[in-house]
Amino acid sequence: MSDAAIIFEQVRAPMLGGDSCLEMDLRIPSGEWVACVGPSRAGKSLMVELAAGLVVPESGRVIVLGQDWREVPDDEPESVRLRVGVVLQQPGLLSNMTLFNNVLLPLRYHRGSIPDRRREHMVMSQLERLGLTSLRDRFPAELNQGEARRGAIARALMLEPDLLLLDDPVAGLDADTVVKLTTYVDEWRARRSLTVLAALRDWSPFVEAADRLVVLHEGRVAADGTRDTVVELVPAPLRRYVDKPQESCRMER
Amino acid sequence: MITWVGRKTIAGWTYLAALAALFAQALLDLLMPPRQGRGETFRVLIKQILFTGVDALPVTTVMALLLGIIIVTQAGTQLPRLGAGALVGSIIVVTVIRELGPLVTAFIVVGRSGSAIATELGNMSVTREIVALRLMGIAVGRFVVMPRMVGMVLSMLCLTIYFDVVAVFGGYLVADAQLTIPLDAFAGSVVRALSTTDVLMTVLKGLGFGSAVAAVCCYHGLAVRSSYTEVPQQTTRAMINSFVLCLLFDVVVTVPLYL
Repeated sequence: MSDAAIIFEQVRAPMLGGDSCLEMDLRIPSGEWVACVGPSRAGKSLMVELAAGLVVPESGRVIVLGQDWREVPDDEPESVRLRVGVVLQQPGLLSNMTLFNNVLLPLRYHRGSIPDRRREHMVMSQLERLGLTSLRDRFPAELNQGEARRGAIARALMLEPDLLLLDDPVAGLDADTVVKLTTYVDEWRARRSLTVLAALRDWSPFVEAADRLVVLHEGRVAADGTRDTVVELVPAPLRRYVDKPQESCRMER
Repeated sequence: MITWVGRKTIAGWTYLAALAALFAQALLDLLMPPRQGRGETFRVLIKQILFTGVDALPVTTVMALLLGIIIVTQAGTQLPRLGAGALVGSIIVVTVIRELGPLVTAFIVVGRSGSAIATELGNMSVTREIVALRLMGIAVGRFVVMPRMVGMVLSMLCLTIYFDVVAVFGGYLVADAQLTIPLDAFAGSVVRALSTTDVLMTVLKGLGFGSAVAAVCCYHGLAVRSSYTEVPQQTTRAMINSFVLCLLFDVVVTVPLYL
């Protein structure tokens, strides 16, 4: 069995609009935290959707946790799908359920044997760590973007996945909350092996915390490696995506 | 012209095949449910029955009473002139129990719940709730479509029977007040006119209309892709197609009965 959590094997997939393609050959080892950065229309969201099995590549293969998505049925009880937590740009919280019930849903659906009390305790402890306890009875329409996104991340982690895919997880969050969220994900990784692939639009503590950065530009990998390596490798116009704002300004001067 | 007719015919059959496939999948999910998610799916089913069935009782009661009153008023004043005053019971059985009961109930359900289901599923598609369910390993067919379909079919069947009973009672109110027909005479006339075929027809139509409306509304709700403007468009299509399919089904089951 491969020790890679995600393998993009000579993948080629058309980007929205169909005028350009994402092309990549990438391997993400288990337990690694990878931040994928780059400008808009670079293919970051498509990369997450390919890894989540939402998009089938035109050519090549996407192998996640040892399985090609094309061979994975969606709803089998032991499907690899349950080992992958995904949060897309739109959090997708069910609008007819409270935040609490949204986070509880995966447990209720897939872990029916866990007693109610224990399940509720599990949900409440996650909401607490994300600062969402007071919002537990609110419906998604009553939450702001950042709260909904944090709720969706808590829901994605409820089944204790081996792989977490995040598309723009820090959009709409204030600086303090981004740090809290980064710490939250880091704590999860400390407790159990969790691979994280996060697509990000700008530099943030999320980028800083990553083990590895992949810089995408116009559907191609422009640089790949640790932050220090990437800062040196990446072309000047893309430097602001991998460096703290003040540092990149200083370097450009 | 021939090409246009051919294209439309193929599109019509493709549409019916898609509805049949959706219905078959829901039936399969109902008969062979997996272990996981049974409680959650059951909760969705109960909510659907409450919304489509229980919440529709007041409006169904009013419409059934009014329909019964209108039919018996018309029949009670016209039939005696033809020397057929004793056929009031027959008329209410044929018009209400066999025909109008199931049809008007279907129209109530389409207007209340069918449009609500199409809108709800359409909005869920736009806000990517449907995708989020899939990403959580929750089968959309099993968790979203099946309970809504089963809930609607069961509710439609019960509402149809309820509608028939209330409409007959409405007819009795007029028969008693205006035509001075006593309860036992009215009831006897209805019971004599009522056959097993009438009961089977009303049940068959309740089940058929419920299945058609549920499949059409779920199909159009899930057909919404990425824009909120698609939601009202698909909802309108769902309602129109539901009406047409109900009438088509009605013709298919009624006409052979008289051949």
